[in-house]
Formats: sequence, C-alpha cells, structure tokens
Amino acid sequence: MITLFKHEFKQNLKSLLIWSISVGTLGLMCVLLYQSMTEDMQALSDSFSNMGAFSDAFGMSTLGIGTLKGYFATEVGAVHGIGSGMFAAIMATSLLSKEEDGHTGEFLYSLPVSITKVVAVKIAACITGLILFSVITGIFYISGVAYLGENFETDLFLKYMISVLLMNIEIACICVAFSAFVKKNMIGAGLGIALLFYFSDLICRISPDLKDYIVYGPYSLANATEIFVGNEIAASAYIISAVLIIAAVVTAFVKYTRKDLAS
Amino acid sequence: MAGNVIEINNLTKRYGKHRGVEGVSFTVKEGDIFGFLGPNGAGKSTTIRSMLGFLGYEGEIKILGSDARSGHEKLMKNIGYMPSEAMFYPSMKVSEVIKLAADVRGTDCADEAGKLCERLKVDTSRSINELSLGNRKKVSIVCAMQHKPALFVFDEPTSGLDPLMQNTFFELIEEYVKQGTTCLLSTHVLSEVKNYCKNVAIMKEGKLISCGSVDELTHTNSKRVIVTADGKKSDYLYKGDMNSLIADLSGKNITQLDITDPSIEEIFMGYYEA
Repeated sequence: MITLFKHEFKQNLKSLLIWSISVGTLGLMCVLLYQSMTEDMQALSDSFSNMGAFSDAFGMSTLGIGTLKGYFATEVGAVHGIGSGMFAAIMATSLLSKEEDGHTGEFLYSLPVSITKVVAVKIAACITGLILFSVITGIFYISGVAYLGENFETDLFLKYMISVLLMNIEIACICVAFSAFVKKNMIGAGLGIALLFYFSDLICRISPDLKDYIVYGPYSLANATEIFVGNEIAASAYIISAVLIIAAVVTAFVKYTRKDLAS
Repeated sequence: MAGNVIEINNLTKRYGKHRGVEGVSFTVKEGDIFGFLGPNGAGKSTTIRSMLGFLGYEGEIKILGSDARSGHEKLMKNIGYMPSEAMFYPSMKVSEVIKLAADVRGTDCADEAGKLCERLKVDTSRSINELSLGNRKKVSIVCAMQHKPALFVFDEPTSGLDPLMQNTFFELIEEYVKQGTTCLLSTHVLSEVKNYCKNVAIMKEGKLISCGSVDELTHTNSKRVIVTADGKKSDYLYKGDMNSLIADLSGKNITQLDITDPSIEEIFMGYYEA
C-alpha cells in the first residue's frame, strides 16, 4: 500500500508543484500589490461596497477592501478559491481514468493488489496532494503578508485555508466519482465542474431568491469574506458536504470495482 | 499426475450487444506450455483478461485453485502477466518500473531482475518514454518473470521482439518451466505453438473450436497435392479417400505428382477457415 501510495503521489507531484507555485505566486502578487494600491483603496472600497447584490456576492458590503483583511479576502480569496478548485478537479478527474487512458491499467492491476485498495490509495494520494497544495500556497500568501509587515489575523487565515481544503476535498471526491465512469482523461470536464460550482455559488449570492441554495455547493464552505468577517459557515453546508463526499466516494468504489478495465 | 493450474468452465463474456467469448472451457495442467491460438478478434485477450479479473464474466474460472474474481490479489502474487501492449508510466525509468513491480509484491527480486535484464539486454537507466515497443516488451518480460511465479500468462509476447530476443524469451520460458512454472502462451504465430507448446486451445469468433495436444491436433488425413495434369498445374489440400484421388487422376496425362503431409500452418489455417 505504501509503495503504491508513493507511486501515485509521484505521478501527481509535477502537476501539484506547477499548480501550487502558480496559484501561490498569483496570490503573493495580489498581496504585494496591496500597499501600492492603498492610496486609491478607500475610494474604491466605498464604490465597491455600494454595488448592491454584486457587493454582497463578493462580500464587499461587509468587508471593505481598504483593509488588508478585506483586500486579502476579496482578491486572494478569489484567486485561491478558483485556482485550488480547478487543481482539485483536474487531479481528481483523471485519478482513475488515467490508467485506462494511458493503457497502464493492465500493468497496475496485474500486481497483487485489489482494485479497492488501488482506489483507496489514489484517493489518499489525491487528498495528500490537496493538503500540500494548501501548505505551499499558504506559505506564499503568509510570506507576502509578513513582507508587508501589517497586522493580520492568522487564526482567520488558517480557518480560511482549512475551509478551502475541505471544499477542495469535496470537489475532488465528486470528480473522482466522475472519473470512475469514464475511460479517457476528461480534464476539460473537470475544469467545467469546478467552474460550475464557483459560478453557481456566485449566482446564488447575487440573487436573493437563490440564497437558500448556497449551502448545496462546495464553495459555500469557503467563502473568504464570510470567514474573514468572522461569520460562521452554516452547519447545513457541512452536513451536505459530508453527505456528498461519502456518496461520491462510495459511487467511485462501487462503479470502479465493477467496471470492465479497458485495455 | 500434474494438477490443473487453470480451469475455465463455460466462460461467457459480452460487451453489450457485441460478442466477447461464449461457452469457453479448457484446462491447463501444471508444468505445461499451453498455446492459446486464434486469429485477431478470436477472443484470446478477452479470455485472458477475464482470467486476471480485469473483466466481469459469466461462468467459472479457477486459477491455482482459487476463484479468479475473488482471489485476484492473492493470485497475482503467483502470476506473471505480460499484456500485448506492454505500456508503462512514461515519466518513469525502466529501473523504477521493475522495482515498483517487485516492491508491490513485497519481494526482493533484484538478483533475478538483474539476470533477466542481462539476458534480455535491457538498459534500466533509460526512460520509458524513450523505449520502442520491443524494448517495452522486454521490460514487461522482466516484470512478469522476476518474482518467479507459478504461472506465466503471456498475451502475444513476441510481437515487436527481434528474432534473437524471441529465442532468448523462449529459452527463459523453458528454463522456468523446468523449475515448475506453467505457461499460457496466447499467440497467432503458429510456429511458436509448433516449436514450444505441448497442448493448444484454438479460438475462433469467440468460441473454442478445438483443444488438445499439438500432436493430436496436427494429426490429419489431409494431404497436400501438387499435380501437373494435361499441362495444367494444381496445388490443393485433399481431404478424403485416396482411392478417389487416384481414380480422379488416372485418366489424365500426369507429368508431375507430389503428395505430402500438410505443414502445421496449413493444418491450423484449416481450423481457422472451417
């Protein structure tokens, strides 16, 4: 199991480094731009907070972007939310299908290991990748904040990063279940799933009629402005998320262990 | 008396509406080099992939006494499988692939792998994505043999291998079989069956059309007849009473007549075309 875990982790390592360094660098650049934008920030903050539903959707009505906390939640929150969701979806969408797409399944499954164990190891390696993604990008962001030398609530930052990790685990599990049904890598579909979740969360936040549906999407777990304001995420969001994760993982196991392996 | 290493009983596999294999039954005895013969699309790979638990199927398959489906993990410890495609992870080095296959088995196969790499001239420092089909096949042979399994399952192993390597490969099989390994050799190369196999099963259009010893199956009353009669040359496989043949030819002006046993290729082609 350990050997296979290491093997699977190595397979994902290059992609993990590219994505985490890219998203981390983008986030770092956003943080470093904060001071150069400080002078214009107050006027911008006032304008942004008076844009009605859009201000609500991006949290700018409750958290002004004139402060580092508000700026971080709005700017880095968007970059990290979309970037990490896309990475989770891409990695998970090809997690199972890549063996058939690359014709390596016959080699892998000719080794003395059950398909159930392979699926378990792959999901474990995927989640480990997501944890490392959070750590690497977190180091980039916190380095930027440290460079600025401004006060920053690290407890809220940690809460935000853990919430995004949970969100990414949910996106990944849904995409792993999708991966069990296909025989080709469908990275485009994975990206589509991540973006669908992101924009459906946004739409639900813009439209007052759809607000009750926010909790159904993974992005409800990790809204940066709500976390940095200090609002608690609805308990129903966690319950729905847990149910979806369990359902997705069970689907992946049941489908993949019963399907015919493509040559 | 040697026991059965493979027992397949009424194996049926369909891909939706399409035929896979239907009602296939045969056994392979311990220590045998068993040929599994048939043209492309006959169902050889489907049978093998069912045996290895890659496909769901109807019927019963027992390998080394265990059910092929439920005993997959345990069985694969004692099976060396070489797929026809021999694909590996392109970013890995040959040495890493060979080590991965050994490590997952929890066995130190370094000595045996080293010997096999030397015999097969495998450069373990190369990256998989640099390898030709033939070189990937050689890596696949090392992965299948290094743990000295009780059963080899080879699916069209020699395609892509040069003739010298083919000889080395069959020498290796014979050496392992002498030590007690059994080998199922799926191929459509008739000479491989003729030269190396004791028993053979012949597949055609998803069905097993014949199974038995190579000697039995190649024993035939057919004769190849090459005759020049009345200035016209004919070359055909004759199945029937020799007296009728003589009677047919007796009224003609024969200038050349050869009546010989057909080659093994002709005999097997006869099975394919029947």
